[in-house]
Amino acid sequence: MTTVDHKRIAILYGVTAFIFLLIGGLEAGVIRMQLASADNDLIGAGRFNEMFTMHATTMVFMVIMPLGVSFFNFVIPLAIGARDVAFPRLNALSFWIFLFGAVLMHMSFVVNQVPDAGWFSYANLTEKPFSPNRGLDFWSISLLVMGVASVAGALNFIVTIINMRAPGMTFMRMPVFVWMTLITSILLVLAFPVITVGLIELTLDRNFGTHFFIPAEGGDPILWQHLFWIFGHPEVYILILPPMGIVSEILPTFSRKPLFGYPFVVFSGIVIGIMGWAVWSHHMFTVGLGPVANSVFTITTMLIAVPTGVKIFNWIGTLWKGAIEFTTPMLFALGFVALFIIGGLSGVSHAVSPSDFQQQDTYYIVAHIHYVLFGGSMFGIFAGAYYWFPKITGRMMDETIGKINFWLIFIGMNLTFFPMHFLGLNGMPRRIYTYSAELGWENLNRIASFGYIVLFVGILVFIYNILKARNSRRVSHDPWDAPGLEWSIASPPPAYNFAEIPQIQGRDHYWIVKEKAEAAGTPITEPEALVDPSSIHMPSPSYWPIFTAVGVTLIGGGLLSHYALSFVGGVIAMMGVIGWSNEPAAAPSDHH
Amino acid sequence: MAHAVEQEYTTTGLNHRKLLMWVFLGSDCLFFASLIATYMVYRGQSLVGPYPNDIIDVPVTTISTFVLLMSSFAMVQALAATNADNRKATINWLLATALLGSIFIGFQIVEFNTFKNEGLTLGGNLFGASFFTLTGFHGAHVTLGIIWLLALAILGMKGRINSKTALDVELCGLYWHFVDIVWIVIFTLLYLIAGFDVGPVAIPGG
Amino acid sequence: MGLSPFRRAGSLSKPAASNSSEPTGRSSSLKNRSVIFGLLAALFLFAIGCTKDGMSTWDAYGPVAQKQLDLFNVLLWVMVAVFFLVEGALLYAIIRYRKRPGQPKPPQIHGNTTLEVTLTIIPTILVLGLGIWSVFTLFDLQDPDPDGPTPLHVNVTAHQWWFEFEYPDAGNGKKIITANELRIPVDRPITLQLESDDVIHSFWVPKLAGKLDMVPTRKNNMWFQADSDKIDDELPVTLYGQCAELCGIAHALMRFRVTVMEQAGFDSWAAAYGPPPTNSAKAKAGQQLFAANCTLCHTIDGPDDPALSASRLTGFLTGGDITPVPAPNLTDLRTRSTLAAGIIDLSETSLRDWLRNPEDIKAGNYMSERAVLYQNGAASLTDEEIDALIGYLLDLP
Repeated sequence: MTTVDHKRIAILYGVTAFIFLLIGGLEAGVIRMQLASADNDLIGAGRFNEMFTMHATTMVFMVIMPLGVSFFNFVIPLAIGARDVAFPRLNALSFWIFLFGAVLMHMSFVVNQVPDAGWFSYANLTEKPFSPNRGLDFWSISLLVMGVASVAGALNFIVTIINMRAPGMTFMRMPVFVWMTLITSILLVLAFPVITVGLIELTLDRNFGTHFFIPAEGGDPILWQHLFWIFGHPEVYILILPPMGIVSEILPTFSRKPLFGYPFVVFSGIVIGIMGWAVWSHHMFTVGLGPVANSVFTITTMLIAVPTGVKIFNWIGTLWKGAIEFTTPMLFALGFVALFIIGGLSGVSHAVSPSDFQQQDTYYIVAHIHYVLFGGSMFGIFAGAYYWFPKITGRMMDETIGKINFWLIFIGMNLTFFPMHFLGLNGMPRRIYTYSAELGWENLNRIASFGYIVLFVGILVFIYNILKARNSRRVSHDPWDAPGLEWSIASPPPAYNFAEIPQIQGRDHYWIVKEKAEAAGTPITEPEALVDPSSIHMPSPSYWPIFTAVGVTLIGGGLLSHYALSFVGGVIAMMGVIGWSNEPAAAPSDHH
Repeated sequence: MAHAVEQEYTTTGLNHRKLLMWVFLGSDCLFFASLIATYMVYRGQSLVGPYPNDIIDVPVTTISTFVLLMSSFAMVQALAATNADNRKATINWLLATALLGSIFIGFQIVEFNTFKNEGLTLGGNLFGASFFTLTGFHGAHVTLGIIWLLALAILGMKGRINSKTALDVELCGLYWHFVDIVWIVIFTLLYLIAGFDVGPVAIPGG
Repeated sequence: MGLSPFRRAGSLSKPAASNSSEPTGRSSSLKNRSVIFGLLAALFLFAIGCTKDGMSTWDAYGPVAQKQLDLFNVLLWVMVAVFFLVEGALLYAIIRYRKRPGQPKPPQIHGNTTLEVTLTIIPTILVLGLGIWSVFTLFDLQDPDPDGPTPLHVNVTAHQWWFEFEYPDAGNGKKIITANELRIPVDRPITLQLESDDVIHSFWVPKLAGKLDMVPTRKNNMWFQADSDKIDDELPVTLYGQCAELCGIAHALMRFRVTVMEQAGFDSWAAAYGPPPTNSAKAKAGQQLFAANCTLCHTIDGPDDPALSASRLTGFLTGGDITPVPAPNLTDLRTRSTLAAGIIDLSETSLRDWLRNPEDIKAGNYMSERAVLYQNGAASLTDEEIDALIGYLLDLP
């Protein structure tokens, strides 16, 4: 509860997000079961709308983002040779606010007023006359609360990466994962304020009588779409860039070759980060913005395919002439590349606006986003989980079960989502809870629903594998013979990470070190020696972060129930900040 | 300039907290940019009055803008005094900054009240909604800044502000100047440019 | 026409599906099994993958949908080519460069700038080419050919959860307002102006054109045309349409039909548009019941009066239990084939079920919620009264 150690916070993030993955996954299951047959009435329309809204909101904001943050937390300080993040207590604050915000969102189930306007919540369906219950207030206020957590976390990582690299680690020696984290964090810091404003305006509309998105009073519901997608498209890259970074770590490790075209991979990431701001209206091709706007966004969106393609070429180039070992993390990383290609290609087809007019809001798009977010992001995250598990715990996950896990998820994923391409092209719109049999969508839906079961079993196997790993053998500090700095220290790493801050000798630092040692006839078999922890000043645990997080969440909760509660929350948050700034941090870096 | 005792290694030589503040201000820029964008998109889109020309009082707000600008000057003086280890001047200038900020907020409260009496409310029309949201959030930023300044002044009285901890003051200064600059943008756009709009106006593309 | 994209698409789906066998290569038996599995899956998907059913985009009935489909087909070919190239390279690398026992450390290649630049420029040219072509298509599809036949104009207004169609001039200056079933003459461009009364909806008839949103505050314009030489069946032909933007609880049930007719058939329908006759005593009783219970929201004697429509909309937006709301015009109900925004076929029986308790058929509809009749759930009408209403509405003997 009071920890400020980045490794423990990483585990907290990981476990929390994984629980939400199960919740979101069950919601997906309800959706798939409802759609498994035509004219089905398993659940009603209202419930169905709640399910897909919460499924997407959960997966985006409470699963993939925090899982990414979990890896940032664990890996970044280790990969750049730091003892912790720049602001350990701020880091703890981010986690607690995220957790409380996510719980607040799910309180909507308790009072049975669940958000039901989609994860994009297009105005003006979200306004009081059309969504009278408190569901959308839960949605917007919880997202505001979680937004604070995301921005605080991202600020922390930007400072950490820019300022806390070990001597010798220049920007162009940083591991690609660190690069992608930096770009992601910058995107987060810049994109979240935009949605914050949108959410504030929505909240004001719903609770304080403004008319930002109410057409009858002159408001324009399209403004919401602009605000949402100016945030939403960078958000897409926030979700995919970290897994791209993970894969860029894993492919070289198991090909025994450095990453092919490192500068190109890095620069393509930067270019994606910049161009990601210039394509948002491709989510709005059918709004009727006119042929000129649609042309411009068609071209910019087509162009963003290029840096993405560059990454894929470089990954294949990394494999080329390598000595590929098929470990579980490698399988997931290869799965990522294979599936991301499909997602990328289908993306090009709806980047073209005339073609998108037929595909927008159909299952073709659902297939596309799941190929990039499941085939892409989640595969990258699974790859990372298998890859860093021995570093996190000092134990290995079972490789055989890991492979079963991979194949189940890989096959289940394709069974579930590939048919959706056809469904979309056969005209099935998204977000419909029922369809009539005469439209010929039933068989494909059945396959998709069956695929879901396979996928679900795959996830259960993953859980089993993790639980089983508790009793598995301990492994050395460097079981994969990996290039990253994090593998040079003990597993699990001591609280202080590095007894001595290392001098970085190049990209793939640890490979260089190991090779030199081998050439000198003294191969490295042991991690860096442990030292007496009391000789190193580490930040002391603090309960102020959780205290402040309670205050911040109460401010939001008060808006949902009684404003007095908001006031109490404000007072608590203020007390937290005062207590915080008066508390001497053992670490030299202190946040005001 | 920063912690003399434990100035730790940073890759860029820039202090963590200072870097944090700069990146945060970058983020805040986008926040205000989005609010200002909303205002500009809805400029002249209100279906009913009051319209800006009916109620915006440029001369009065010019005075409050001047007050806020002067507070930035006081802030600069406070930092200079801190660096010079002049404890008394530090406290005085910090309090002066907070006072000028409070006067600005006072003007804003009076302005909001007048507007309300003249019929401009959050729910009345789009002008009211976007105006109050934008200037309200700016006012909240200023208020937060005042609390921060007062906290620093109290620390100063306890003798905990000196040239070794000048970063505390410098960060507050960064924030304060940022909030000032945002106000200059708001003042230019909402008062000087859009302040004379009479009723609905045609906006290119609107 | 219709069939060729279908066949093409079907055959293209095969390689894509077999992707499920991608990163194999560990053991040959596993690889073989995956390949067989992939082929089977591909065949299966090939068999059922692409259809030409009601909403299919593979079956264009007019120039707009056809050009969009043509563009997509080219994209599909390019995608498949790139897919084979890239996944092939990936698969080759995976199989060819897998680690062999005792293999020395592979060459430590860091990159190749020439290759990188080439592989950046080629896709750039490719996507720019496609992009520019799509821009031409975009502008090309903006308006119907000015030298072609005179377009028929229709104003479409979306409501939660049904569509209203207004023909300002359906022929001889006759104004028609109808709902949920759009009748159009063949071989003539139809220009549509799309609006919404409440939330955002989207207008989509896949076989005629891609979708366009219906946004309050905005008047969006689109056009399409049904070509007789693209239609195999005998006219009139009925096409499916559906709202494609989440618009609330009954979004999935917001459907409509487009009936493509010969110009002559359209003209006679337009000429016959008018209130149901009241020849029998039963019909007269029905008319009175209708006037007493339904006219707050529904119009049955020709196009709606704009002032009345406006006051119904105000009632709807203001809310409350018993307020008028905009509701489908029922003047030509007896000529329609579906009920409740295209979700069930119209018949005496289905209309009876609907009138008894609309909530059973279309959850969330405003008739159950707002009409006095349904304040206690099922209709507060006797069976005879309902019979009379049905007789009047459908002009039954």
